[in-house]
Amino acid sequence: MADHVLTLKHFFEEARAGRLTGIRCGKCGELAIPPKEFCPSCQDRNWAPVPLAGAGSITSFTVIRVAPRGRGAEAPYAVAVVRLDEGVSLLGRIVDIPFDALRADLPVRFRPLVTGEQTAIGFGPA
Amino acid sequence: MRRVAVIGVGVTKFGKHDRTSAELFAEAAGEAIRDADVTPSAIQALYYGNVTGGEGEKQLHMGPLAATLLGIPTIPTTRFENACATSHAAFRHAVMEIGAGVSDIVMVGGAERVLNIPTDAATEYFAYCSDASWEQSVGLTFPGVFALIARAHMDKHGTTEEQMAHVAVKNHRHGALNPKAQFQKAITVDMVLNSAYVADPLKLLDCCPFTDGGAALVLAAEEVARKRPRSVWVLGTQAASDTMFMHEKRDLSRVMATERAARAVYRQAGKTPVDVDVVELHDCFTIAEIVATEGLGFFEPGFGGAAAEKGWTGLGGKIPVNPSGGLKAKGHPIGATGAGQIAEITTQLRGEAGPRQVEGARTGLTHTLGGNTATVLVSLFGRG
Repeated sequence: MADHVLTLKHFFEEARAGRLTGIRCGKCGELAIPPKEFCPSCQDRNWAPVPLAGAGSITSFTVIRVAPRGRGAEAPYAVAVVRLDEGVSLLGRIVDIPFDALRADLPVRFRPLVTGEQTAIGFGPA
Repeated sequence: MRRVAVIGVGVTKFGKHDRTSAELFAEAAGEAIRDADVTPSAIQALYYGNVTGGEGEKQLHMGPLAATLLGIPTIPTTRFENACATSHAAFRHAVMEIGAGVSDIVMVGGAERVLNIPTDAATEYFAYCSDASWEQSVGLTFPGVFALIARAHMDKHGTTEEQMAHVAVKNHRHGALNPKAQFQKAITVDMVLNSAYVADPLKLLDCCPFTDGGAALVLAAEEVARKRPRSVWVLGTQAASDTMFMHEKRDLSRVMATERAARAVYRQAGKTPVDVDVVELHDCFTIAEIVATEGLGFFEPGFGGAAAEKGWTGLGGKIPVNPSGGLKAKGHPIGATGAGQIAEITTQLRGEAGPRQVEGARTGLTHTLGGNTATVLVSLFGRG
């Protein structure tokens, strides 16, 4: 089971279905986002999967107005670092929240952003 | 380890060029070889930096290409890629090759060409230096990375957009004194504040430009360098890394790799921040200069914005930062930037910087940051 969540492919397959999965170190308790071979805190290799509820709040955000090639039609769009309630953070695209409502500590909730075969991390209103 | 010195420097004009990056490097390298007063065949190895050549020029295997254009095709070469810190990373390895006694004279440098491709393509290629799964996938750009840092710094310390604008104004004022700079004209705080948002709160004039250019250095062992009165000594050179992921940064208002590399290089050189007379640091965005002046120990955390506003980092100020114009005005050909900064500090410590000379400068520092703050190199230089 531990190896199941250690790959990016499996993390994003789960995320596509609406489930976020972290990994917790069986030795020191460090919580991390996969994949990781060794625990960055204690260097042990003893990870177990942990479901993450998807609730969190914004740490920092920006509204991107000059987009990379292929994303011009999406701009402007907001991107934020979100600290999940369990203590780890994820970067995600902000959806369904007006730009002028964005601020640090704003509560948000995970939702998968699915485009064809691609899944990306999104956050909408809590 | 043997002592190592910079004995020759060369930099192309930064801006738009109709030549390949390898040609730009060859021009800078030729200037560096003449400046060092060595024959080309005296060069024993080339440490070469380039980032986007594979995408923008369909060209890899650039080390031997650069050596071939330089007319010394048989020397060993290695190409480095550490995002925007590329040629500073190459420099550190060249110093180690000489320090270890493997070679006596080594060339290091780099070049970049991106103004031959559209801006959105260049924005895409630069974003390859952030993580594909977590960052490119949500459309994070490099202005976006530093916008996240700027917002965190503003929230934590009260840093203002106007303070950031002062960094741009100061670096343009310096760039106007540098004939190699991409932008050689002054701008005002109002011009910065009224420019269009690229990634809020960063505006167009908070951002460095896309740039074509090359830079090169000739490094030598003490036995060669001490015969040359214009030699500038490497007092220390250190690299540090941080997690590649924005979501794992411990504190978005700080650049931990800068703090780690700075502590290590001050210890290596036996210096402290107050010993430094002149600085070339990585101002890819105005907030990056503010955070770097704090991380390098020139100002307490949270005071970098006020220091910029008070003029403490300008020529004639407490600690002159980016007399060349920095990445903001001199330009940022990413594979050449680190070597270009070292060329400027060498010129300053030789007392040959003309109207942008920091009077009496004896100790200089260079700081180059790669990508999403995951790579930083800091080096210290001195006379005698």
